[in-house]
Amino acid sequence: MALAEAASSASARDGSRAVVSRGRRAGKLVSRAVFLVLLSGCTVLFLAPFAWLVSASLKSRSEVFNNEWIPNPVMWSNYVDVWAAAPVFSWLQNSVFVGLIGALAVTVSSAAVAFGFAHFRFRGRDALFGLVLATMMLPGAVTMIPVFLIWNELGMVNTLVPLWAGNLFGSAFYIFLLRQFYLGLPRDLFDAARIDGATYFQMWWRVALPLTRTALIVVFIFEFKALWTDLLKPLIYLYDSALFTMPRGIKTLIDRFGQGGEMQWELVLAATTILTVPLIVLFFFGQRYFIEGIATSGTKG
Amino acid sequence: MQGHVRHTERRSAVRGLMRDLATLMLVAGIGLAAAQMEASGDLRVLGFGMPDEIATVRVDTFEEMYPDVSLQLTEGSIDQQQLLTAIASGNPPDVVYLNRDDLSTYATRGALQPLDQCIEQSGLDMGQFRPAASQPVTIDGTVYGIPEFNNVILMIVNTAALEEAGLTVEDVDTSDWEAIAALNEQLTTVDGSNVTRIGFDPKLPEFFPLWVRANGGQLVSDDGRTAMLNSPEAIEALEYTVGLHETAGGRGPFMAFRDTWDFFGSNNQVAANQIGAWPMEQWYVNVLVESSPDAPVAFAPFLDRQGNPLSFATGSAWAIPTGASNPDAACAWMATMTSADTWFAAASERASIRAEEGRTYTGTYTGNLAADERIFGELVQDSGNEAFDHGVDVILQVQDAAFSIPANPAGAQVRQAWTDAVNRVLNGEQNAEEALTQAQEEAQAALDEAWEQ
Amino acid sequence: MGAVGRRTLDVNTPAGGRAGFRRAEARAGWAFISPWIIGFLIFTAVPMLASLYLSFTEYDVLRPPRAAGLDNYAELISDRRLRLALWNSFFYTVLFVPLSIAIALGLSLLLDRVTRAAGFFRTVFYLPSLTPTVAVGALFLWVLNPSVGLLNRALALVGIDGPGWTTEPDWIKPGLVIMSLWSLGGTVVILYAALKNVPQTLYEAARIEGASAWSEFRHVTLPMISGAVFFVLIVNTIAALQVFDEVYTMYFGQMDSGAAGSAALFYVVYLFRQAFEFLNMGYASAMAWLLFIVILVITLIQLRVSKSWVYYEGR
Repeated sequence: MALAEAASSASARDGSRAVVSRGRRAGKLVSRAVFLVLLSGCTVLFLAPFAWLVSASLKSRSEVFNNEWIPNPVMWSNYVDVWAAAPVFSWLQNSVFVGLIGALAVTVSSAAVAFGFAHFRFRGRDALFGLVLATMMLPGAVTMIPVFLIWNELGMVNTLVPLWAGNLFGSAFYIFLLRQFYLGLPRDLFDAARIDGATYFQMWWRVALPLTRTALIVVFIFEFKALWTDLLKPLIYLYDSALFTMPRGIKTLIDRFGQGGEMQWELVLAATTILTVPLIVLFFFGQRYFIEGIATSGTKG
Repeated sequence: MQGHVRHTERRSAVRGLMRDLATLMLVAGIGLAAAQMEASGDLRVLGFGMPDEIATVRVDTFEEMYPDVSLQLTEGSIDQQQLLTAIASGNPPDVVYLNRDDLSTYATRGALQPLDQCIEQSGLDMGQFRPAASQPVTIDGTVYGIPEFNNVILMIVNTAALEEAGLTVEDVDTSDWEAIAALNEQLTTVDGSNVTRIGFDPKLPEFFPLWVRANGGQLVSDDGRTAMLNSPEAIEALEYTVGLHETAGGRGPFMAFRDTWDFFGSNNQVAANQIGAWPMEQWYVNVLVESSPDAPVAFAPFLDRQGNPLSFATGSAWAIPTGASNPDAACAWMATMTSADTWFAAASERASIRAEEGRTYTGTYTGNLAADERIFGELVQDSGNEAFDHGVDVILQVQDAAFSIPANPAGAQVRQAWTDAVNRVLNGEQNAEEALTQAQEEAQAALDEAWEQ
Repeated sequence: MGAVGRRTLDVNTPAGGRAGFRRAEARAGWAFISPWIIGFLIFTAVPMLASLYLSFTEYDVLRPPRAAGLDNYAELISDRRLRLALWNSFFYTVLFVPLSIAIALGLSLLLDRVTRAAGFFRTVFYLPSLTPTVAVGALFLWVLNPSVGLLNRALALVGIDGPGWTTEPDWIKPGLVIMSLWSLGGTVVILYAALKNVPQTLYEAARIEGASAWSEFRHVTLPMISGAVFFVLIVNTIAALQVFDEVYTMYFGQMDSGAAGSAALFYVVYLFRQAFEFLNMGYASAMAWLLFIVILVITLIQLRVSKSWVYYEGR
């Protein structure tokens, strides 16, 4: 339904930006058909894994992998069971805390650092930026233990702190991403602000940040997702079950059915669905600001 | 049928005997109850999965016996990175729960404590454990871990396929390799270019060690210092088992078909008549009885070429890392968790839960002989599903027929060497001799390097 | 990166004030990047140097490291599996990166044309990236199954006898590329965000000049989003050379059917096994630094080449 709406509106709209130029009616028809086919094809393709997950999480144990799309019977009880079998709520609380504070921290700090690299001239800047990129090039597997030892020295092992506090210092990936967006902003905007007597901080906070809101949302969503699904850090830093985040908790669910136990895949998948849905909701609300992104950048001279 | 009746009778007799034995031992107060020890303080346990009743009842038992110990359990099975970071930080847990296969990697590097003292203090009787369980935790005569659980391999047979071909379960005799090859040919069905049934699946690459052992060879020498991957026995075993894939058109179609099975479902490969027979880990028996109780299935021991039952055992073990801060409590923990009394209490709980659900308790294979005797003597009842009850018998029967790969410090690298070699032969990149010779070099180099340190 | 320094100031100030202004600008620049500097010094530089040091030692994590000179680096040269792993990762990267950018660009343009229910479609396109690898993997095994999989069934409709995507060593890597492409939502989002930042006025101007759809894309869209394309090129290359999660889940972790053997032994997978399964952390560190050099060289080449095609409005 949404598909048909989108398809009809895509070619029917006027005044808005369209790749199809006017006055090419025949081409327009073909283009519309191609658009429709592509859009529906991709939608099916991209919906499939999640649809599979939801469907499998509602099946009975012996049917989880039977490759039927419609569960029969529909086992809503799986969700009740997983909720009863495991402290899902407490896992979710920890995950929400780490996700929000970590994503917020990395967005703000990376934006500041990226602005520093994009806007100012100072000696050694390009070399330092090269260093930022270089930190992405060494596989994390070999720095994991030294990093752990540092947190251990700081007495932070078995707390949630190591999961998010590293984000206060920016992250190479996002610094690079935001720098690219800042470099795309016209310079005269900043010059105008400076003539108006704005401080550097104000130029960042009042001019640069609002103009790159889309990118900031992207950063926030990416990082929230990364923190939300991370298993490795919770695995090595957390010992107390009360501190477990959602993925760490799901691991205990998977593991407890190992030795001589039964593979309760349906419960694991129900927990995995509970893990995934908040991300989808977050993305759905976050992406709305994409449109505002153009609205603001449209006003610029 | 007749064979089955005979079996049931014998089993009741065995169970009766076990019960008497257990009572006797209980009266004499030997071997069953773990001696109370002095223990207090914090106890950090890493790697133990919770919370099924087999786990929780045993943990409760410990907490009752040692109220002065404050227990911190980190749930979920162990992960190498988790253990390594904890050890590297100089603050290791007091007890770790490991796969027995991984234990020697840590023990030979000095990361685990020898348990002589603990065994002495706690009066722990190492003789109560099955040899297949205690062997991998014993290195050069020194015990480094207390074993628990003993999972074995048995043959699973699709009787419907056999019947079609006019065969019986007795014809699935893995001691006779020619007969198995013939059976494979007979039972494999191919429709055009698509396989519709695999006659016999040797389960490569993962069961390669089993086939080598069945053929009289082994992958690593008993002292864990010498790789023996390219012995004539190993080469022959690889050639033979790889050859079994040819009937289905080679490894590609074979694997592709195997991936389509509804392995955990009611329409699994036995119920759907997609397999003749194959060796498999014991846990799958439980899957079958839950998902397709009426499927035409039978179970039998895997036999070596001399006709003796043979299995490959896996399981867990408790160990105390070097530098653990509370080894006394750790020792008390290990002794309590693995004592026959504790096991029996946990098994009783599971049996009563199963009874409430209207299901049959099918036993827990603890790796502790005394515990197994009581559990199977007193708690396990016939389910009424003959094929399945026979399966339980087979598992019990092969508990002690199991071997394990001798303790060595380069287990994972040796495993990679032979796994890759098997894959190269399956893919037609090399013949068995070339592949295993290369694997032998790799494995020996890894062993030499690891021992040298 | 050198290009950034070429930006000129367009505010005319007297010579003395100019120097003062420069000092102030430099101070502000350092202030802005200071969070990163602090984090780098505490949490990145030390671990990186530690791994560099460890690469010259025998280190199994359980015992103290022992000096080993250049042994690990010498072993890099003779290790057959390492060559294979490097080749596997290159193969994957060369296939994945161009395809991921081209397809993500196509998808973001497609999304850009949707006006109604756009939120729904944006979410759907990003969905596989949000779905845990296990679910994508389980479905992937089914879709790519050589005999009953959807992909080969579709190929059969057009008369192509599809290969063993999950079983034949030669096809396992292309199969993994297909699975990874499924989850390129992140790249789509970045490119889409860049498309949304292209000023409307430029399109209006192009339309007034009567530009065709293609030339509008070629001369307006592409230059305006080239900064983002450059970003995804660099980042996706680095990520592809370090690919680990999907591969490990599919062929070495829980779902392992033992089928892949060395065909799916990617560089970081091998590195991970050396570090945490074989306990050769010293050797793994040497492997990491070799990969570091490889990625650095590739990135520098990309940076150099990029100067000819990346356009920044702000410069």
